[in-house]
Amino acid sequence: MNSVARTATRVYGWRWIVLPPTVGIAMLAMIVGAMVVAPREAVEGEVQRIFYIHVPSAIAAYLAFFIVFVSSIAVLWRRDMRFDVVARAAAGVGVLFTGLVLATGAIWGHPIWGTWWAWDARLTSTLILFLIFSGYLLARSLSDTSDEQSARYGAVFAIIGFLDIPIINMSVRWWRTLHPQPIVLKMPGEQALPGSMLAVLWLGMVAILLLALWFIVLRSETERIATRVNELRVALDRDDEG
Amino acid sequence: MNGALTVMRKDLVLLWRHRSGWLSAATFATMSVLTYSFAFDLVTDDVRPLLPGVLWVTFLFAGIIACSRSFADEVEQGTFDAMLVAPIPRSSLYLGKAVSNLAALLTIEVAVMLMATILFNTTLLTAELAFIVGVGTVGYVSLTTLLATLGSRVRSREVLLPVLALPLLVPLLIAGVRATGGALDVPNGDGPWLLLIVVFTIWSAVGSALLFPMVVEQ
Amino acid sequence: MTATFAIEVTRLSKRYGTTTVLDGVELSLVAGSRTALTGANGAGKSTLLAILSTLVSPTGGQVRIAGYDLQTQAVEVRRRIGVLGHRPMLYEDLTPLENLLFFAKLYGVANPRPRAEAFLEVLGLWSRRFEPVSVLSRGYHQRLAIGRALIHSPEILLLDEPETGLDAEGIELLDALMLREPAFTVLAATHRLDRIAGWADSTANIERGRLVSHQVSAEALAASR
Repeated sequence: MNSVARTATRVYGWRWIVLPPTVGIAMLAMIVGAMVVAPREAVEGEVQRIFYIHVPSAIAAYLAFFIVFVSSIAVLWRRDMRFDVVARAAAGVGVLFTGLVLATGAIWGHPIWGTWWAWDARLTSTLILFLIFSGYLLARSLSDTSDEQSARYGAVFAIIGFLDIPIINMSVRWWRTLHPQPIVLKMPGEQALPGSMLAVLWLGMVAILLLALWFIVLRSETERIATRVNELRVALDRDDEG
Repeated sequence: MNGALTVMRKDLVLLWRHRSGWLSAATFATMSVLTYSFAFDLVTDDVRPLLPGVLWVTFLFAGIIACSRSFADEVEQGTFDAMLVAPIPRSSLYLGKAVSNLAALLTIEVAVMLMATILFNTTLLTAELAFIVGVGTVGYVSLTTLLATLGSRVRSREVLLPVLALPLLVPLLIAGVRATGGALDVPNGDGPWLLLIVVFTIWSAVGSALLFPMVVEQ
Repeated sequence: MTATFAIEVTRLSKRYGTTTVLDGVELSLVAGSRTALTGANGAGKSTLLAILSTLVSPTGGQVRIAGYDLQTQAVEVRRRIGVLGHRPMLYEDLTPLENLLFFAKLYGVANPRPRAEAFLEVLGLWSRRFEPVSVLSRGYHQRLAIGRALIHSPEILLLDEPETGLDAEGIELLDALMLREPAFTVLAATHRLDRIAGWADSTANIERGRLVSHQVSAEALAASR
């Protein structure tokens, strides 16, 4: 257990050397793959290429929110404010990628469905997810980051928000798919994809997940340093008074 | 248990003394139904299918307004700390506020439904609807009361509370509107809406009561 | 010989993030003692009192109050302490009688009504028992707050800056109510020692989160012999 922790610490120490170039190369490869290598989709045309970003972004967003959930439990349980920093960082990245999912979905939906937006089950639940964690970020940004009580409040909200996701999904699915739909939804990921498309999708998955990971690490570090600076300032002020 | 009852009775007395506060939420709610009815009547002859949506949106907003100050006075007067140093379970503090908020909201809802009965020319005070609205109210009041622990700690909490609460309440909104529509014979899709209301209510009541002590711990 | 300690604090520490507020505080108070806790603003007095009153949980160390462990037996501790802060901690929209009744019931006091009424008499609030607290003067607030803190006959009273909430008359009243109980222990955080100098029998001084001295006055030593 101890050696695992030590290895993890050592690997984490390499983050600035490993992450930026890996992310850069993976992103470049993904773009080349999506634009050049992957074949043109027969029915949907060029716009289908957006799914090499769209699908991985959705997965990255869910992963980020899962990190928020786990860190929030840790905030309540371990009373360690370092987890709050990670939760805030992951929530920001999750909201970013959910926004990306909604935006790329709309860009795809306009030519294919003939509308930017529809109250479809999946779209609705993604939007609600976006709103829940935007609310979390708003609440956390309105309170002092060193305020432990607000951190605990934020953690409780994040936990409830995450646990609400299955209930939201359940409710919107009953609401929508029991209805006849004008457009039958079928994501490319659900169809049998040709080999080269699938390979590019996997490449995109790796690239986006690495990007999300790098963002979370970067934000955690900046937040941590900002918190530290704030604490030092408070300590200095107190010394001036004393 | 005794402690919880004592807190609850105190909160009900305070609810009565502070009635001007939440009665303004009641005024807001009836005004909102009145305005909806008037505005919809301008564009369509049959306003009845819109009624479930009007009711639930009004309930949720009235709930947020009425619950938002739940803990603010306690925190400002220091009585919140006074209760925390007393030998009672933390969750009884939550229970007292949730029950008094529930009483306020049920009063508001009866007023709104009487108003809607007249304006939308529909019988609303039936056992089925009372069940749907009653259970659903427990669901949203328990969640909104928990979120109101934000108390006086955060600036612009009046804006923040709806932003935080409404997305979480979407399942209840969907199920409530659909179930109410079903009870009023408004054509809509089938679905286990009552079950969803009950599931949501149990989830939010149990979850909130368990998480409340975590928020007040320092 | 084993002295009975009302409050026993061992290696107590409290950190917020990387800021250390309390750092290895050791303090033992004999049952029946009255200690003034002094120190500058931000030295950690309030945090120490908040921890002792179970409002804030410590980062490390151990606290025993009336023989009960603060963290595992918090409910037993809460039964035995009274807390009087610089705010009265009263319901402004309830009457004095309702306030005292509520807190008496909260603590499970037997026969809450006669007890609350007896307190109102002693506190000089009998004639105003049906008026909302919000219309009462500051002095009455303070008296009622004393009643609230003592309604369950605590063994230990924790006072946070009594000079901002209590005037000389209040302290006299406190004394009158406390003197009946010889084992009553008081810990009062203050930065104006002169106000309670004649009343405390020992002083503890806290500086930058550390307890730097704990002196028992000669008089008190003599009395305990």
